[in-house]
Amino acid sequence: MATYELRAPLKDEDVMQLRVGDLVYLSGPCFTCRSKLQRYIFDEGHTLPFTPEEGSILIHNGPIVVKEDGKWKLMSFMPTSSLRFEKWGRASIEQWNLKLICGKTTMGAETAKAMQEHRCVHVSPQSVSPFLWVDAIEIRGVDLFDEMGSIEAPWHFEMDKLGPFVVDMDCYGNNLFDAVTEQVEANRKKAYEKLGIPADFEYTRLYDE
Amino acid sequence: MISINIIEEAAFQTIRRGATVISDDVRGAFARAIEAELSPIAKKGLEDTYKSMGLAELRDKPACPDTGWPIFYIKMGNEAQIEGGFMALEEAVRNAVRRATKAGYLRATMKHPLTGFDPGDNIGPNIPDFTYSFVPGDQMEITYVAKGGGSECFGGTRQRVVAFADGMAGIKKFVIDSFIASTKAGAICPPNILGVGVGGTANVAANLAKEAACLRKIGSHHPEPQIAQMEEELTDAINSLGVGIMGSGGRTSVLAVNIEYAYTHIAGIVCATSSNCMVARRATTRVLANGETVIMNDPDWFGGR
Repeated sequence: MATYELRAPLKDEDVMQLRVGDLVYLSGPCFTCRSKLQRYIFDEGHTLPFTPEEGSILIHNGPIVVKEDGKWKLMSFMPTSSLRFEKWGRASIEQWNLKLICGKTTMGAETAKAMQEHRCVHVSPQSVSPFLWVDAIEIRGVDLFDEMGSIEAPWHFEMDKLGPFVVDMDCYGNNLFDAVTEQVEANRKKAYEKLGIPADFEYTRLYDE
Repeated sequence: MISINIIEEAAFQTIRRGATVISDDVRGAFARAIEAELSPIAKKGLEDTYKSMGLAELRDKPACPDTGWPIFYIKMGNEAQIEGGFMALEEAVRNAVRRATKAGYLRATMKHPLTGFDPGDNIGPNIPDFTYSFVPGDQMEITYVAKGGGSECFGGTRQRVVAFADGMAGIKKFVIDSFIASTKAGAICPPNILGVGVGGTANVAANLAKEAACLRKIGSHHPEPQIAQMEEELTDAINSLGVGIMGSGGRTSVLAVNIEYAYTHIAGIVCATSSNCMVARRATTRVLANGETVIMNDPDWFGGR
């Protein structure tokens, strides 16, 4: 397990050195999205009002931002679950020139494939610690605010050592959570035993599932 | 008679406290989890989360930006008099939600389920949600719960009807299988407070599960020994799985398993689970008949069950 400090825009070498379980701190520009923006762009065919540069960082999240004295102020920040954006994973990597996606949880097989092809990784927070993060983020601006609303609009952040996040998908097809899942499966049987659930237990079917 | 302005202010302060101040029982459970943890990634995750909880209170900001569904539990004294009645009470609470959203204590998270329309103030049909219970006295208590989307949307809330033929083994299997299925990659933000509802109709079981997850203090046990024992057995079994904080592996996967039950039909046992986020957010305020307000540490929702 190594720790890396990365600065956007990222190059192939930045990404290729990373392995699942490594920790990263992020600096430089990034932008945010949730479902509404991805549906708007990838399903409904609108174009982004800005062009993400080669090697961009995307954070799946919906921050709480308020306007105070004409300035945007970040109240709280926590990456949101990437699992539910799987259908747009490949499109976002290819069309938005991504080298790193930060989000809670992880992503699926098709995105993993796209990540191998385009040298991209997914990193995930292993804590819920907004206030170790908010000071590392400066808000640079927002697009499509009227169309998307405050949570779903793409915010532009400038990051200063934002992290740590753990690499849960590297660009070699590995996923950190696979090992945990395997361990949990092995422990499940022992847990059944502890709870007095017979190994051959089957539910009496009261209805079709 | 309790003035409606006092109720609105009490509701606002309860929301503010609920979103920004994490209860002592939750923090205590974190301190114990940090002590017990062996995995370095998990230990750091627990420590960072614990630190951030403290900073949220200090800075008067939401401990997690997903302030979720706004849910209210109102324990009403049987002799309490509310200025304007119950409809005025609910309108006062809705006003408090609007104000709290504008002030940044709540994120504008509630939207139309089909059109996606965002009212911007977390108010809409059947939201916020109100649940009442009635107790002796002329006071009232209002509890606010921020029910986060992670723990609710990714399988942390489930239901199954277990046959009497399957009994205790069927109930326990449902609980542990539900937990495992929803916690991959940390989807429901473990370590959770896992609520289980057993018996009643489907909605009764689901409500009991949610109340067990969101309103019971960590460390409390069901007063009946058989249920208390189930709570302990399931807590130990789930913590032996190795899910850990955010699903990255570790010794603490649940902070507690709380079970509540209702009598059920001879044909089957409805079972439900509901998980609360590790950053479990709730706050309770008692409003006395003379308008004084008292901050309560424990919603004591099941007191006198």
